Amino acid sequence: MDPAGVFATSFAQDQALIRTSPQRLALVILVIAMLVLPLLVEPRIVAIATSMLITAVVVLGLQINTGLAGQINLGQAAFMGVGAYTTAILAAKLGWPIWAALPAGGVSAALFGFVFGMSAVRIKGFYLALTTIAAQILFHFLVLNLPSSWLSGSNGITVQPAEILNFKFDSDRSIYYLCLAVVAIMLFGAYGVARSRHGRAFLAVRDDDVASGMMGINVVRTKAVAFLLGAFYAGIGGGLWAYYVRFVAVDQFTLFQSIWFIAMVIVGGMGSITGALVGVFIIKLAQETISSAGTTIVEHVSFLSGDIVFAAMNIFLGAMIAGFLIFEPRGLMHRWNIMKRSYRLWPFPY
Amino acid sequence: MEHHEALLSIVAFPVLIEMEVAIHATPPSAVLLLTLKEIEVHNYKEEFAKRNRSVNSWLAGSVGILSMAFGTGGAQAQTTYNLAGLADFTGPYADIMKDVTGCRRGVVEWWNAEVGKDLGVNLKVKDYDTRYDVAQVASLWPGAKSELNPVLVFGIGGPDAAALQERLPADKVPMIMATAGYGYGWKPNPWVFNARPTYPHEAAAFMEWFRTKRGGDAPLKLGIISSEASPAYVDIHKGMEKFAKDNPKILEVVETIYTEVQPTDLTSQVNRLIRKGAEVIQVQTNTAAVVAVRRALQSLGKNNIPIMMSAHNSLQASGKAIGGLAQMEGSYEAYGMAIPTEDKTTARAFFEKLRDKYKVSSGYNVACLMGLNQAIVAVRTIESAAKAVGPTKVTGEAVRTALLTVPITSEQSFGILPSLNFSNDAPFPTKGLTVNIGSVQGGKYVIVDQNVTVPILNKW
Repeated sequence: MDPAGVFATSFAQDQALIRTSPQRLALVILVIAMLVLPLLVEPRIVAIATSMLITAVVVLGLQINTGLAGQINLGQAAFMGVGAYTTAILAAKLGWPIWAALPAGGVSAALFGFVFGMSAVRIKGFYLALTTIAAQILFHFLVLNLPSSWLSGSNGITVQPAEILNFKFDSDRSIYYLCLAVVAIMLFGAYGVARSRHGRAFLAVRDDDVASGMMGINVVRTKAVAFLLGAFYAGIGGGLWAYYVRFVAVDQFTLFQSIWFIAMVIVGGMGSITGALVGVFIIKLAQETISSAGTTIVEHVSFLSGDIVFAAMNIFLGAMIAGFLIFEPRGLMHRWNIMKRSYRLWPFPY
Repeated sequence: MEHHEALLSIVAFPVLIEMEVAIHATPPSAVLLLTLKEIEVHNYKEEFAKRNRSVNSWLAGSVGILSMAFGTGGAQAQTTYNLAGLADFTGPYADIMKDVTGCRRGVVEWWNAEVGKDLGVNLKVKDYDTRYDVAQVASLWPGAKSELNPVLVFGIGGPDAAALQERLPADKVPMIMATAGYGYGWKPNPWVFNARPTYPHEAAAFMEWFRTKRGGDAPLKLGIISSEASPAYVDIHKGMEKFAKDNPKILEVVETIYTEVQPTDLTSQVNRLIRKGAEVIQVQTNTAAVVAVRRALQSLGKNNIPIMMSAHNSLQASGKAIGGLAQMEGSYEAYGMAIPTEDKTTARAFFEKLRDKYKVSSGYNVACLMGLNQAIVAVRTIESAAKAVGPTKVTGEAVRTALLTVPITSEQSFGILPSLNFSNDAPFPTKGLTVNIGSVQGGKYVIVDQNVTVPILNKW
């Protein structure tokens, strides 16, 4: 929603991502803040920010798949795992450079996701959710049961640091900048998808797939593309994860993680690309703050032991998410949009 | 790192100044010499003889008091080193974490008071909750490293090793795990160490022992109940299958059956193993699986077939889950650390000392022993490092070097562990390993054999 008095007079303006000067200024400030962040804060914050950036890529994909196209997906962690394994194998066993291994990880995850996208053609809702859980189980099964020379089975895969033009991404700061660059590209792509013909088709199918079909939208193709794109993002996130942790194992990509990804989309706001980023930020921040606060409390309050404090902290985290679902189920971006609307109409609300 | 400097003067109270250098406390003997010299000067003046006697008495008294206050052997520098304690307070192992962390803290406090004090080293542990999650460990570690600059990390499980194994060599900080090792971690030049060998090592030792006890030349027929829920579980049975393949005269794996991670009824699966002639059923996954296998054996009327389990799903834990230790009659547990029975062992005596003197509130159980075993290896290694490089120069790298070069005897670990000789070939000692075997006999939890030799296993 644009402020009062701002309106597009050309198609280019209508499609522009940045529509006002304050938006441009805010973006510039954000970019500068993100660039200088590792130089100003302690390593723990840099590590948290890196973790947020990797998760953001995965959740952006889920936002396209679930938030925009309405296809419930509880297998996003499995798609991330496929991307991580592909990137790790290509990098560690075949010596591919990051600029080739990372997109290849995305493509392999997209193909894996596409298979489940085909099932979305016939089923939806809870049934689709169950099918995507099958993706999670299938991924686990394949990794552990295919010949260990292929995917290393239970041994996992060790990955060397990413390297571009003889520069090694082996420090906390360097990996942060790598993730930041990838997130910028993927974010731009996500906004592009949302504004495109495909994005509008996603929204139409999400709101009513029968009516969409009658309007001439290819529903089968749209659902499949939604899964393809969502899984591609997850695969790229998985590839980044492989280069970040430098060790990939099957138990790093669990159903529990997929549920956290869904929680991030809900907290941020379904259907909003910015909401995906907000959701990641809020949930990750809560997790990390609670983890740090627990340690500090245990250290300073001698009569409280770790088991009590950390358990209480986790209950607090759960209560916070439940609170979001009860009081603002449409996410923080919905609340933000209400605020913007009030501001736009002020002082004449009617 | 925290250092103190104490300056002692004749007429002033000691002043403690916190700074980044080692303590240089003036020894009481030097103070005494200085005092006597001053007294001599005063003695030349006869008119002040009386007053001097008074001063002499006052100074001598002061010296006496100060000497008592600061000890007769000279004040010992205390250099504090930090240890990062990774723990799972809110993940799948939350229920045992109080015992694990409580016991490892107890060991550190004991060591500080009885060993570190004389050595000039003080250790401080800070626990971090990892939720048993790789992502959480990965994001916690850079902060823990910059905040504590630890010389050693206590690890709990797979996520800790997965997240840090590629980072620790660069950060030059070794990690000591609480659990047994895994085949996938069996690599040279380790920075992640296990005091115990892999689960298949421990199980193989038991199988050889049980076969000898059974008698005869035929290989022991083993049935394995496992799960694909965790790569660690898969790793365990693959290790056993490899051992059986390499030693066909000793062991035959009749079948490995994958079940759900929390099975409820395994009657048909266990029956299948029995029909194939299984003499022992190995369950090294979790307590729920042990309970389900035991119930299946009971319902099939095959109580004579023992279950072999490990430390984390021990007889105590499984007995508690099934409704009484007596129901585990005839089953076994085997692992490379002390078994927490009621017997008066040196390990138990050490625990009781920690409980009585160092306020460890945990019970004497396997979880506590997991904490004890990693902590005792840590403190003994830091002790060796401090002796090798000096108490003010201990680093993570020096600790790792000490771990690889200085053996830890069973006496040093109060019988909690066998004598350990780490090498650069593996994260756990590969030679001279032994396990202890516990069982329930006549309804009582007992140690049936100790120091059973672990056979040589090839990598799988």
